[in-house]
Amino acid sequence: MVLAVLLLAAAAPPLDVALTAAPARLSVTLSVRQELPREWLEALAGGAPVSITYRIRLFRNRRWLWDRRLSGHELLVTAQRDPLTGVFSLAAELDGEVLASGQAGTLEEATHWVTNPPTADVPVPLHHEPLWLVVRAEFLTRYKLLVFPTTVGTDWITRAVPEAP
Amino acid sequence: MTTWRKRWQRYRRQNRFLIGLYLGLLVLAGLGFALYSRMAALPPEEMTNRLLTFLLWWFDLTLIAILLFILLRNFVRLALERHRGILGSRFRTKLLLSFLALILAPAAMLFLIGVLLLSRAATFWFSAPVDGIARAGLELAEGVRLENEARARRAATLIAQELARLSSDQARLTEIERLHALLGNDFTGWVRGDTLLVELLDPRQRALARLPQLELPPSGEAGVRGERFGGTVVARAWAPLPDGSMVVVASALPPALVAPQASLAAAGAAYERLKLDRPTITATVILSFGGLALLVVFAAAWLGLYLSRRFTEPLLALVATTERAAAGETLEEVPLPAEDEVGLLVGSFNSMVRRLRDQETELRATVRRLDAVLGAIRTGVLELDEGRSQVRGNPAAAALLALPELVDGVAVTRLEEAGLANLAAVIRSAEAAVRGSLTVYPGGVARTLEVAVVPLGAEGLELGWVVALEDLTPLQRAQRQAAWSEVARRIAHQIKNPLTPIRLAADRIARHVERDDGSLRQVVQEGCQAIVEHVQAMQAMVDAFSLYAKLPPLARRPVPVKELIHKVATLYTGVKEGVAIRVEAEDVGEVVLDPEQFRQALVNILDNALEAAPPGSQVEVSLRREGDTAVVEVADQGPGLAVDDPEVLFQPFFSTKGRGSGVGLAVVQRIVTDHGGTVRLEPNRPTGVRAVVRLPLGSP
Repeated sequence: MVLAVLLLAAAAPPLDVALTAAPARLSVTLSVRQELPREWLEALAGGAPVSITYRIRLFRNRRWLWDRRLSGHELLVTAQRDPLTGVFSLAAELDGEVLASGQAGTLEEATHWVTNPPTADVPVPLHHEPLWLVVRAEFLTRYKLLVFPTTVGTDWITRAVPEAP
Repeated sequence: MTTWRKRWQRYRRQNRFLIGLYLGLLVLAGLGFALYSRMAALPPEEMTNRLLTFLLWWFDLTLIAILLFILLRNFVRLALERHRGILGSRFRTKLLLSFLALILAPAAMLFLIGVLLLSRAATFWFSAPVDGIARAGLELAEGVRLENEARARRAATLIAQELARLSSDQARLTEIERLHALLGNDFTGWVRGDTLLVELLDPRQRALARLPQLELPPSGEAGVRGERFGGTVVARAWAPLPDGSMVVVASALPPALVAPQASLAAAGAAYERLKLDRPTITATVILSFGGLALLVVFAAAWLGLYLSRRFTEPLLALVATTERAAAGETLEEVPLPAEDEVGLLVGSFNSMVRRLRDQETELRATVRRLDAVLGAIRTGVLELDEGRSQVRGNPAAAALLALPELVDGVAVTRLEEAGLANLAAVIRSAEAAVRGSLTVYPGGVARTLEVAVVPLGAEGLELGWVVALEDLTPLQRAQRQAAWSEVARRIAHQIKNPLTPIRLAADRIARHVERDDGSLRQVVQEGCQAIVEHVQAMQAMVDAFSLYAKLPPLARRPVPVKELIHKVATLYTGVKEGVAIRVEAEDVGEVVLDPEQFRQALVNILDNALEAAPPGSQVEVSLRREGDTAVVEVADQGPGLAVDDPEVLFQPFFSTKGRGSGVGLAVVQRIVTDHGGTVRLEPNRPTGVRAVVRLPLGSP
């Protein structure tokens, strides 16, 4: 039983990625399965603005050469609690364009909202070779040995882009 | 092409800093643009933090890179210079290492202490009490909010329960008004669907009438929601009635409470934000300290390099100049670096260089004048090095010795090859200043030279030798011609003296033969007698000539000179009446000489002395020893020397007496000279002549 749980935990990716292809578009639905950093949660509960940055990159899979990057997108999901009203203000921006916004009454709702951001539609250029989608969620920046910055987030997840119907 | 390349290299060297600055700014601008493009979507505070961190990182990394580049470049250069043995590299390495050691330790200490202080300060800022205060503030604000919401929720629930027990709307209206007043609600409403059936307001809270319509959940469950409105916080709670309508109660916090609550909440939020940014702030400050420390190290390294260059370059220039001068190149002035002590040293060196140049110019002029003089004089001059192996001569010496290459300098052995072996021997054997004459045979021709060898420099510090050569050959030839002319003149004079009486006697005989008187016999006898007498005188003169010309070779043997002198003096005792001979002879032992010829010399001297001595006087003969010399003196008390130069009395056929052959003293001088001695005539005191003969006692 324990082994099964461990295997399941080991096999579960830190970031769920669901892709839906449409002509010249690709819908990307993300869901963070990894536990958020403690200081991130404390900051959100304390009223500090926090965010999760989802980096979405499209690569062309070339057989004999290195993969070529076609485009890169940034889905920025922010959350901030109003300590006077207890309401969490939520917003999602894709490449600087507001994608969605909302409010949540509890920390769990707000956390769920930011870890399951709205589906992002990204343009897909015309292509002949297969495409890869590489995604990562970044929570905050820590410093090793006080000065060397490291980004805390999930690993890069790679998914093959399905062909549009 | 080469000219353009040189121009470009010179331009690049002169503008290296400007080109570097331009490229640096270009890279900086590109990085800034890229950074701005990436961070345009970030909140201003986060962008500021990231930008500051990035700039500090860029600054530190740039400083480290520049510092490492400068240090590595200079250390590699110094290592190469030390490997090649270039002068000054060791001094510059030590200076640079000393500077670095002197600065690195304080800079590292400054950095570590700064980081430690900052770390402690950050720990103090985010300590448990501060954290507790911030958290308590947040909890207090949260508690007030929850209490307000709970109050509104309780009121709404209570009103809904009371209304649920009533059946008519009129009764419910009356009950709502009663409970609104009883509970002291700020706002009480009854909503059915989207219609607001009742709206009751506290007169003090009329602004709540402008509250936007509440979006009630479709599930119909009770709930509460807080919202900001009109500078306060309003909690609106709702509770359902069985018929689907809703009771809504709003409770507004007093403004006097909202303000501190908002401050507490804002401070708490700021604190949480600060806590989240704590690593970034720490990194920023540490990087700032690191940058400061690196700046100090950079400045120290640059200063060390600059000072080492500034100090060593003038000294190295001095050393290089002196080394070039030592290698034979011309002394040059060194550019004046500054008006400090090093500049003073360089200035003194330059003054010395100028003075040496002036002296060198003067020396060259002197040498040129000397060369001109040596080239013009007829005396041959040879110059030899200290070891007397090389010799160089002036044109006169080259012509004298028939060695043209002597002008450019030759080895002394070349003199031997050219038939000048005796000259080379004299030059080599001289230990001090030497003067003498010798005969050489340059080109097979005999030349008599007067040679003077003189050392150059002080005693014990010989710098070389100079040999002066004077050709005596023409002078000797002239003297010989003059001597022969004098001999001829005197012989003619000596012969002419007896010829005149002979001719007169012959004339007298001839006249008496013509007259034929009785005195012819007597005249003939007297004439013949006179002729015979004068012929005999001429015979004696010829014998004297023969004696002078044909002195036999010396037959030397040890002879007791004292006895010899006594014997000769005894022979002359009483020869001239009224003249006494006194002998004072020391025992000087035996002297190697020819006794017969020396006796002849003594006889000639005593003849002259007795002839000059007046009656009543005496002739003194003495013998004494002076060092390695036996001195024989014969002094008379006659009238003294009749000539100014006594040397002429030793010339053959010279006589002041008007009679005699005039070879007596000449024979004396020749005999004494052949024995290696000397003879001279000097005035006797108070009157007379003193003849002094010196003979060497050792082997000649």
